[in-house]
Amino acid sequence: MGMLWWRSCVAKSMLSPASPKSGLKNFLLQRYRRWLNRRLPPARTIVLEQRRLFIFPTRQGFLFALTLLIMLLTAINYQNNLAYGLTFWLAMLFIVAIHFTHANLLKLEITGVRAESVYPGQHAEFCFRISCSRSRQGYRAVKLVWPGSEVLVDVPAGGEIDVSLHHKVTARGWFSPPRLRIESTYPLGLLRCWSFAYFDVRALVWPQPIRVERLAFSSAGKAGYDLSEQEGLDDLMGFRDYRIGDAPRLIDWRSHARGLPLQTKLYSSLVDEDNWLDWQDFPAGTVEQKLSWLCWLLLQHHSRGENFGLRLPELELPVAAGDRQRDRALRALALHDLNGESAG
Amino acid sequence: MISGEQLPRRSLLWLIVCQIAVMLPHLQRIPLWVVAVYLAAAIWRLQMFRQRAEMPGKWLRLLLGLSGATLLFMSYGTFIGLEPMVALLLVAAALKLLEAIRERDGYLLVFLGFFICVTHFIFTQTLPATLYSLVCTGLLVTALIALNQSPGVGLSNHEPLLALKMLALAVPMMVVLFFLFPRIGPIWSVPSKSGQSITGMSDFLRPGAVTKLGRSAEIAFRAGFVGVIPENSALYWRGLVMSQFEQGAWRTLQWHEMPEVERKPIPPRVLAEPMRYRVVMEPTQQRWLYGMAYAESPTAGVYEATDYRLGVINPIEFQFGYEVSSWPKALMQPNLSDWRRRLETDFPEGLNPLTEAWVKDLREQHADDRNFIAALLSYFRAQPFYYTLEPPEILSADFVDKFMFESRRGFCEHYAYSFVAMLRMADIPARIVAGYQGGEVNPLNNTVVVRQFDAHAWAEVWLVGEGWTRIDPTAAVAPSRVEFGFEAAMDGQPGFLSDSLLSAYRFRGIRALDWVRLRYDVLAFGWQSFIVGFDSTRQIELLKGWFGEIKVSWFVALLLGSWAAVLLPLMLWLNRQRSVSLMLPEEQRFSALCRRLEQRGCSRALGEAPLQTLRRARDHLPEADPLYLALEGAIADLYRR
Repeated sequence: MGMLWWRSCVAKSMLSPASPKSGLKNFLLQRYRRWLNRRLPPARTIVLEQRRLFIFPTRQGFLFALTLLIMLLTAINYQNNLAYGLTFWLAMLFIVAIHFTHANLLKLEITGVRAESVYPGQHAEFCFRISCSRSRQGYRAVKLVWPGSEVLVDVPAGGEIDVSLHHKVTARGWFSPPRLRIESTYPLGLLRCWSFAYFDVRALVWPQPIRVERLAFSSAGKAGYDLSEQEGLDDLMGFRDYRIGDAPRLIDWRSHARGLPLQTKLYSSLVDEDNWLDWQDFPAGTVEQKLSWLCWLLLQHHSRGENFGLRLPELELPVAAGDRQRDRALRALALHDLNGESAG
Repeated sequence: MISGEQLPRRSLLWLIVCQIAVMLPHLQRIPLWVVAVYLAAAIWRLQMFRQRAEMPGKWLRLLLGLSGATLLFMSYGTFIGLEPMVALLLVAAALKLLEAIRERDGYLLVFLGFFICVTHFIFTQTLPATLYSLVCTGLLVTALIALNQSPGVGLSNHEPLLALKMLALAVPMMVVLFFLFPRIGPIWSVPSKSGQSITGMSDFLRPGAVTKLGRSAEIAFRAGFVGVIPENSALYWRGLVMSQFEQGAWRTLQWHEMPEVERKPIPPRVLAEPMRYRVVMEPTQQRWLYGMAYAESPTAGVYEATDYRLGVINPIEFQFGYEVSSWPKALMQPNLSDWRRRLETDFPEGLNPLTEAWVKDLREQHADDRNFIAALLSYFRAQPFYYTLEPPEILSADFVDKFMFESRRGFCEHYAYSFVAMLRMADIPARIVAGYQGGEVNPLNNTVVVRQFDAHAWAEVWLVGEGWTRIDPTAAVAPSRVEFGFEAAMDGQPGFLSDSLLSAYRFRGIRALDWVRLRYDVLAFGWQSFIVGFDSTRQIELLKGWFGEIKVSWFVALLLGSWAAVLLPLMLWLNRQRSVSLMLPEEQRFSALCRRLEQRGCSRALGEAPLQTLRRARDHLPEADPLYLALEGAIADLYRR
């Protein structure tokens, strides 16, 4: 118990946001973060053990204490034993509430299940699974908080529940979510029990697609190709069975209306062996710009159901089509030239 | 944290229930319009809840608040005092309910509710009031839990049950604190209760004053005896001693009216073992206590007056318990000072010419004081005097003349008044004593319950060699009054208990009810004397009895002990891991095999399909490994399922 309080005090005192100007504060904040990281290392699954939990009265808790003080003064001044009794009863209720609030997070198990890949500027969805291994008592009103996103859940005894939180992402590459705060004031709202957790779950952030009008320069000396829509598609080569992921405008709706199964139209460009998206095609532009252009182009290819291959300085994706190809290409672009990260 | 979160809709219902529950016991002491404000606020808030009404605007709320305060001031004429303050609290709570939109308003309402509960205890500390407050506390804690439920959880019995559980767990520590917390005196003076109309003895006696008490069965006090309870006819509970006659009424001599030398009481010599008892008095708003002559009290704050009555400095606003030792045989004031003799024989001359002449005549026949008194009493006995609760009203100054020779119908105070007046006319020191006589004996806990209708007035006469001696003229007229109690003398008479139509006492004599009533009284007396009357004296007694000496370390140890005894096992129980696996047997087998696989260096990835695991296992393990085959079988079972 004593440890609990001490820890909560330390945590509280170090929680205040530090201004970047103050060197000492910054230093302390860094120390605190390092301490917290050591104390609460990132993991896939986190069980909220005793040592991870902090507890401290809420604002309402202090107001309650003030009420009790007034009640005690009333009891003393009126020498009223029943008023004493009620005051002590409520004061001890507060002690009981410490245990109940603490127990409402203790042994809670959280697993970072998966994260959605997104483009910069979007909100990545992180999915967590919260489970309760206790057989008698579930968890109630548990709040998971990120800056800008929070979720309140109840977990039944012996059960589990999936929740998702969103976080805005800005830069290409792997996005590691910030420290998640898990807290609860249940049952009385007089105390807040909380814990922090880093999860070993990352979201892949693809490059921002940027429309590119025409490939002005081509390393192979070929004429640059323009995939803008007004150009239309090349000659119709034939049909094949519809596959999930084929662009709607490549589907032969006319035959489908006649009652035939879905067919996808094949154009000559789709089988063009030269559908390579090549890093070398863009001698000008920054790395990010090139990635963004390639990204836009590959999405164009994919939306039309075309085959494409990708050549980056460090790897080459053979020509293929479909969602899988798109995802591999996007991943390669997202992780291009990020030190320490492999495209694997 | 996001502040200003909305008040959960479900908790609002609990809040309204709580608010009404904490207001109800105050009904008797607040103006009716406060109740109306309360109900109006609750209904308005409910309409808001059902989205049929808007929240009143800021200005309207301000106006409501101001008019509430004005109305209060008009009702009470002041804000100082307990009742106006409680009414103010209640009005504030009602208006707060109206604007309770955010979560923190809910908390404020609950905390206000706790405080209103405490104010109720200032007015009454009886067992039923306590039980009711327990219910209120439970409701308030329930509302607190409802405030913290996640949204979307429907109304259920979970909240009240949890509230009960938590409150029950807090009880052992509360008990320790209650008995060990040092009882210190008031830190500052607090507003007291205003003079409510309390049924009870008044501090002066004029004809008709005691009669009205005969209509009430309210309890005046209870006395718990250590030894044998004396006969009913010996139970004369002295309250006031009235030596001063003024403007047709008898009253007690004030302290400042006495000469310096007379102010100090001279306790009589006591030799025998006293009767010991503890009296627990209901609030009277008066400064005198009751005890049997001659009484002494060791309780702090109780003093003894020169006329051997017990008193307290401040009016008794709350139930008050005190210990008494009585020596019935002690000589009270064997020597009378001249000043006191003058005082106790003083009666205005010429008020009652008929009686004066008659007394003078009688005194000539009986020069001896004792003989004279006997003659007077036998006159009462011989002549057609009646003991009645509804005597004719005598308003003229010559009360004794009218009573002795015309109406001859009276209650105890009529007899005491006339008797003392006549003794004083005959120059015999005499005074009126007002108090209670008799009481109902509860054999279960050896107590006497004294009710308002036991109110009585009698005389004390000073006799040479005997000091002040009790003589009850009423006993001459209605011996059964003293032998068997007021009830026996009055039963069937019009007016008896007419003010207590619904009192349980009216139904006395029905055996089952009596059984319950006597047992309830045991509880109530225990409650009053042990819990409500717990003070620093009893605390020290108790602690010395338990531990021999008082140490802070004992206090801490007991508190921690009560904590550990209750909360530790509970927490262990609550956090018990699931003993029965929720997995299917096939799943269990599969995960056991996966653990073995992990030992061989091939861990199953999170979220991996069992078939994928199998594929990886095939790459990893040598051909026809038994583990692989087992895994294959387990997965087949799993899918078959």
